[in-house]
Amino acid sequence: MEKKTKETKPVVSIRHAKKYFLAGRHLLRPSDYVKAVDDVSFDIMPGETVGLVGESGCGKSTLARTVIRIYEPSAGGIFYHGTDISHLSNARLRPFRAKMQMIFQDPYASLNPRYTVGEIIGEPMKITHMGGKSEREDRVQKLLQQVGLKPDHISRYPHEFSGGQRQRIGIARTLALDPDFIICDEPISALDVSIQAQIINLLEKIQDENGLSYLFIAHDLTMVRHISHKIGVMYLGHLLEFGDADEVYENPLHPYTKALISAAPVPDPEQARTRHRIKLTGEVPSPIHAPAGCPFCTRCPECRPECLLAPPVMANQNGHKVACYQYV
Amino acid sequence: MPLLEIRNLCVEFKTRGGVVKAVRGVSYSVEEGELLGVVGESGSGKSVGMLAVMGLLASNGHIASGQILFDGEDISPLAPAFAGNPKAYEEKMKGIRGNRIGMIFQDPMTFLNPVLRVGTQLTEGILCHEKCSREEAKNRAISLMKQVGIPSAEERFRQYPFEFSGGMRQRIVIASALACRPRLIIADEPTTALDVTVQAQILELLRDIAREQNTAVIMITHDLGVVAQLCERVNIMYAGQIVERGTLDEIFYDPRHPYTRGLLRSVCTHGEAGRQGLSSIPGTPPDLLKLNTGCAFMPRCAQAMKICRDYMPVPHAFSSSHCDVCWNDCREAADRVTAQESEG
Repeated sequence: MEKKTKETKPVVSIRHAKKYFLAGRHLLRPSDYVKAVDDVSFDIMPGETVGLVGESGCGKSTLARTVIRIYEPSAGGIFYHGTDISHLSNARLRPFRAKMQMIFQDPYASLNPRYTVGEIIGEPMKITHMGGKSEREDRVQKLLQQVGLKPDHISRYPHEFSGGQRQRIGIARTLALDPDFIICDEPISALDVSIQAQIINLLEKIQDENGLSYLFIAHDLTMVRHISHKIGVMYLGHLLEFGDADEVYENPLHPYTKALISAAPVPDPEQARTRHRIKLTGEVPSPIHAPAGCPFCTRCPECRPECLLAPPVMANQNGHKVACYQYV
Repeated sequence: MPLLEIRNLCVEFKTRGGVVKAVRGVSYSVEEGELLGVVGESGSGKSVGMLAVMGLLASNGHIASGQILFDGEDISPLAPAFAGNPKAYEEKMKGIRGNRIGMIFQDPMTFLNPVLRVGTQLTEGILCHEKCSREEAKNRAISLMKQVGIPSAEERFRQYPFEFSGGMRQRIVIASALACRPRLIIADEPTTALDVTVQAQILELLRDIAREQNTAVIMITHDLGVVAQLCERVNIMYAGQIVERGTLDEIFYDPRHPYTRGLLRSVCTHGEAGRQGLSSIPGTPPDLLKLNTGCAFMPRCAQAMKICRDYMPVPHAFSSSHCDVCWNDCREAADRVTAQESEG
């Protein structure tokens, strides 16, 4: 795995980010909050892909939306090239908006059906008054070529394309303003298996060409491992483990990561027969009434008495971080 | 005698764009207690084929030809027994659906009625198909809920679907599919809407049920990982046809059809590291309205020959259980066809 270490300053730093949503007000007792993201910190370096994995409701999408300031964090800081953008006003956020883009999960819902492909890809440039009309058109053509679409696709409408091609259109649109940080929120889970690999290859090609950083969210663990340099594992709004992709997969430390990796179905019958699977009982607790201690304590096979009292602090083992009392 | 045998099934849909042939001549059989996987991408006809078996096609679809033998009896609407008598067919299917063949659908929330208690929905099927009292049906339902691993089943029996989590809802759906001890369960992507840890629980449950009750399971999925974990035999479908079939090991370790090979290569396994770039199948799945007369996979196939465009390949068997449909595996026949063509 090749890593670019020209610049050592992170593109995006997340420091103790929290995002709570109000779930219910009460007169006599404190209000209920959904703690969607609770005290998450990590860095994303230039040219690097950070993968976020976790089950539905673990807060990975909320975290992504907080990072690009679709949501305002309840506490903590989001730094883009060292600038704290966590509480900037909409007007002051504008220059940052162009540099941080997002690829969405559903390629059917994220494209305006009444716009042609050219209008869809050109719209961000139009809004930011980038270049003249012909200049914009040239750039759209270049982007179409970069994502593997044909020049004559420019005047067609989204319904004329298949899911994979639509996702390519979405990718071209995010590239229009030349960002250096892109959030990929489950970009392949709505696509057919044979198309998923095409899109992953395209994302990697673009990353190499443009020197982009990705925050890649998915629940397909094998794909995340393939595309990511670093991986964060989330559960109930907490980051439980963070480290190099191969390190996290080969040598998972947190009991939840171990269970998650062993539960992922492997497309290999021999491995499926012989592999030891860690069985988790039960399901994720409600994020409104999360456990007071370690978020995973209700399902953890290795739970100890101290786990029930307070959430563990992140322990750092040579860059491989884990929040578990076993490693404190 | 196989439990379910499908012979040359063709399903068509009338649409504004023309007639879509969603299933084009599919034949296979399932033995008692067998776990069969049907793998294909969206539009490959894997779900439609099963809906046709159950007589649940949308109103613009119909079975154009073929036989569906369940326990040796033809249950397709085209069978001579129902000739010109759709009512008789409907009556027959009512006795089979949910009773002798159970179905599990992808999304448990749309399957369950949100305004009825879970218990009511579970006992409904039992009361409908079997002569028993409400009390007996309730006891059966509660023991089913325990069997599929729902804690405090007696209390849960009185709750509504919204009070259940996704995994628990899918367990209810499985319990209702099991209610009348069916001989065959058709599971249409039962774990796609679930998280991986819950998915592992549900797959294990399905396998245990198949083993304990000798129930056959047809697992429809696009996830090769799920197939590797659960199934004994696999059918690979593409554009309404089975392009390759074999045992689990034959398909995963000795794939022959270019589509199967491409599919297996495009999923990355745990063992491999690094970013060499995944191998992918170029192009997109075909438009079923604009198929060529030959092999449907030909436009995306790296090994395509001239003959592939105009002539449908013939099946070629590698063993008693393993066969595929590709001209590359039957060169002799291909040469014969080419020779005939140049003569005539």
